[in-house]
Amino acid sequence: MLTFIGLGLYDERSITVEGRDALRDADRAYVEFYTSKLLGATVDDLERHHDVDIEVLERADVEQHPERVLDAAETESVAFCTAGDTMIATTHTDLRLRAHDRGIDTRVVHGVTAETAAASLTGLQNYRFGKATTLPFEYAHAGSDVPNSVLDTIQENRDRGLHTLVFLDIKVGDDTAGADVRDGDEYMTASHAADRLATHHPDRVAVVVARAGSPDPLVHADTLTNLAEADFGDPLHLLVVPGDCHLLEADALEALADAPRDKLDVV
Amino acid sequence: MGRRKKIVEQCERLMDKPENIRNIAIAAHVDHGKTTLTDNLLAGAGMISDDTAGQQLAMDTEEDEQERGITIDAANVSMTHEYEDTNHLINLIDTPGHVDFGGDVTRAMRAVDGALVVVDAVEGAMPQTETVLRQALREGVKPALFINKVDRLISELQEGPEEMQKRLLSVISDVNDLIAGMTEEMDDVDDWTVSVEEGTVGFGSALYKWGVSMPSMQRTGMDFGDIMEMERADKRQELHEKTPLSNVVLDMVCEHFPNPVKAQPMRIPRIWRGDDESELAETMRLVDEDGEVVLMVTDIGIDPHAGEIAAGRVFSGTLEKGQELYVSGTAGKNRVQSVGIYMGGEREEVEHVPAGNIAAVTGLKDAIAGSTVSSVEMTPFESIDHISEPVITKSIEAKNMDDLPKLIETLRQVSKEDPTIQIEINEDTGEHLISGQGELHLEVQTQRIERNQGIPVNTGEPIVVFREAIQQNSGEVEGISPNRHNRFYLEIEPLADDIVESIKHGNISMDMPELERREALQEAGMDKDTSQDVETIHRTNVLVDETKGIQHLNETMELVVEGMQEALDDGPLAAEPVEGALIRLHDARLHEDTIHRGPAQVIPAVRNAVHNALVKGKVRLKEPMQDVRIDVPNEHMGAASGEIQGRRGRVDDMYQEGDLMVVEGEAPVEEMIGFSSDIRSATEGRASWNTENSGFQFMADNLQREQIMEIRERKGMKLELYEQVDYI
Repeated sequence: MLTFIGLGLYDERSITVEGRDALRDADRAYVEFYTSKLLGATVDDLERHHDVDIEVLERADVEQHPERVLDAAETESVAFCTAGDTMIATTHTDLRLRAHDRGIDTRVVHGVTAETAAASLTGLQNYRFGKATTLPFEYAHAGSDVPNSVLDTIQENRDRGLHTLVFLDIKVGDDTAGADVRDGDEYMTASHAADRLATHHPDRVAVVVARAGSPDPLVHADTLTNLAEADFGDPLHLLVVPGDCHLLEADALEALADAPRDKLDVV
Repeated sequence: MGRRKKIVEQCERLMDKPENIRNIAIAAHVDHGKTTLTDNLLAGAGMISDDTAGQQLAMDTEEDEQERGITIDAANVSMTHEYEDTNHLINLIDTPGHVDFGGDVTRAMRAVDGALVVVDAVEGAMPQTETVLRQALREGVKPALFINKVDRLISELQEGPEEMQKRLLSVISDVNDLIAGMTEEMDDVDDWTVSVEEGTVGFGSALYKWGVSMPSMQRTGMDFGDIMEMERADKRQELHEKTPLSNVVLDMVCEHFPNPVKAQPMRIPRIWRGDDESELAETMRLVDEDGEVVLMVTDIGIDPHAGEIAAGRVFSGTLEKGQELYVSGTAGKNRVQSVGIYMGGEREEVEHVPAGNIAAVTGLKDAIAGSTVSSVEMTPFESIDHISEPVITKSIEAKNMDDLPKLIETLRQVSKEDPTIQIEINEDTGEHLISGQGELHLEVQTQRIERNQGIPVNTGEPIVVFREAIQQNSGEVEGISPNRHNRFYLEIEPLADDIVESIKHGNISMDMPELERREALQEAGMDKDTSQDVETIHRTNVLVDETKGIQHLNETMELVVEGMQEALDDGPLAAEPVEGALIRLHDARLHEDTIHRGPAQVIPAVRNAVHNALVKGKVRLKEPMQDVRIDVPNEHMGAASGEIQGRRGRVDDMYQEGDLMVVEGEAPVEEMIGFSSDIRSATEGRASWNTENSGFQFMADNLQREQIMEIRERKGMKLELYEQVDYI
């Protein structure tokens, strides 16, 4: 049995009760933190809180040599955990399919993910989001500028009046698969992202969501140029580029995120 | 006013008159006497004393050059010469003759318009004579011939007039055969063969400083008979005074070599592919000193005080201190700190250097030998075409850990000065690799590091550089990214030999405008559709993108190229460079989001696909070969040919030439390591020999596996090959 468990957004307590129970019942637990991370808890914290031993997997253990996880799941109950949800921004469908091919039962326990937190905290309606995209670090993307596909996604969404959720790249220090790995973890800040997008759309309004799921989340809206100058504190950050705003959305951005209303496209 | 100062002033005055300038190179087979000849010219121009000419070797400025008695770097000098009542400025470059330093010769040819080819009267035209001629003609540089060491025919070999005439004529006709063959297909050249009657051939003795030519005989009244008589009677000093070599040669230079105004209109189209209708093209053709500045850097030297000095030919405009100039291939501009000309090994600063001259410039910190430097952004000159690829590598490390940073800096400098040297820096192990044209080439460079920089180094045994290449089509191969969201479908086939050769010669490169590249590829035999889809060329390998309209592929292509380059730099057999692969990218499936198709995904996917395809194409190891020629007395011929055959070599020809036997053949470079001492002892030191790199050849199948494992072991790689490598 292979159970995919989303750990949620912030610390050892962000998991759902169902997820907690599944994790505690597992014979063996794995976690990968190379696609995202819990900023409020260490692996030790997780192990202590759930009273289980957890092994941290690297990218190669999941993508290139998943046999170990799958072999264990043939005879035992195995939990495979990630931050957020295991199937949303991170894409572990591949692992699930491999298990399925080997006749291993699988189950998904959902976690709270940035995808929904973005709508919840900003007041922008879930129904009005278009395609999401990720802004990669300059060195991870072969060019120095913002990749066209990112700009295209934002533009296509806007053309249709839709909001864009922009995930910001993270690099985890033990990620040995990358061609250009820095020491320690690295998280793209919202101001860095705003700075890069501002070269293309200096006056467009965007919304920063920082530390969603933590005790002190922050939401702030301004033009990309102004956001590039500000400091939003500890990670993780993400950015939402609003499309056309419904009246209530505009009210929410103004009240909850200090948005300059005159710069929003209100319909 | 010192004599030297006076000459500098004369030169400065003449620099503005391009009609009176001659830019020339002296080139020859090793030991045929270029540098001694150059000394004669310098003495004739009053730049060194008459007595020391011949012994001074003024151009061999490096200690090791004087010790070894050969020229290693190309050296520059300017001098003046009065011909037909007009004072001429002669900018001269002396070039090395040893085959290992061929890169210097090619670069020197870019800067000049005339090449004085020196041939030893006793030895005749030798392999390097052919090579330097080819290097000159390919650059559109006009040749003239000087036959040196004629004194040996008279005094040593005691030849009579008839015998001697026969020998000299045969040297001339050999050289002319070479010139005619090489210029046959050059439409812009009429007849560049040399002839005694026209005065494009000179004879003489650089050692005893006398010379003769048809025009000089008419002028001095001294004919060959008189000369033979005086040489026999040991009246060499008198002979020198009556018909000095420098006059004969410098007159020939002034009369027969084109000045820049005549030469540049013909040379610019050969060496520059920019728009020939543009104003820049016009000012270069006209040698316009008021045009935009265009300098082609042909050499980088180091001055202990001034630092890096870029030497090269000014094709247009006027170089001055303080100018901000673009350097091709780099961003931003460099500021000219000083300009000068060369007098012997020394640089003399001057106010300005106008078009048509050879200049020495400081401040161009981004320039390397081969850079185009200009006051407006422009299409760079053709990359200087030297086809010798490095065949030998040595590891080099500092004895002293403290010297490490200095060694790295020096190695980078060395490769900047001599682009035929390749450097691989490994900061982790501190063991760096230096690759070059031959044992001697590397020996000289490493000794210079020790002596000039004072860095004691340890060097490893010389190691031969191999290549990996396929012999058949691979069929389609799938490459899957680690996260399985991205897939690439590609096929590899052997690239036609003609195309590989054209790439090696620089006739096809990514620096060319796209249309021209397409045409060049088609001319070399590539079909039209393929040539239109060429994405990039890496070494001698071509990547063709045959996909149509795949979303996001353009954004991912750089990573595809990177993965391909990694795969080709370290081939699947022994991590040696791959050559001659035509990679066709058929199709790709990509993840929507950039983050899931980043470097960690795309590079390994493409790298693995390329390696799998190479293995399916039955990739094999190729080793570098050398042509070998040995001149040896009859009684040692057996020993000499045995030295070739005993080295997995092949003897192609043996024939008599004069009183010597010539053995010609080919052998692998790897087996040729240590050849010089072995042939010496095998022939009691009576043999003279010459080697020339002749490219890479597939090794026999029964030697492949052993060689591959040996390389893998040396590199610390796993000793197992891909399973599918079952064909060797």
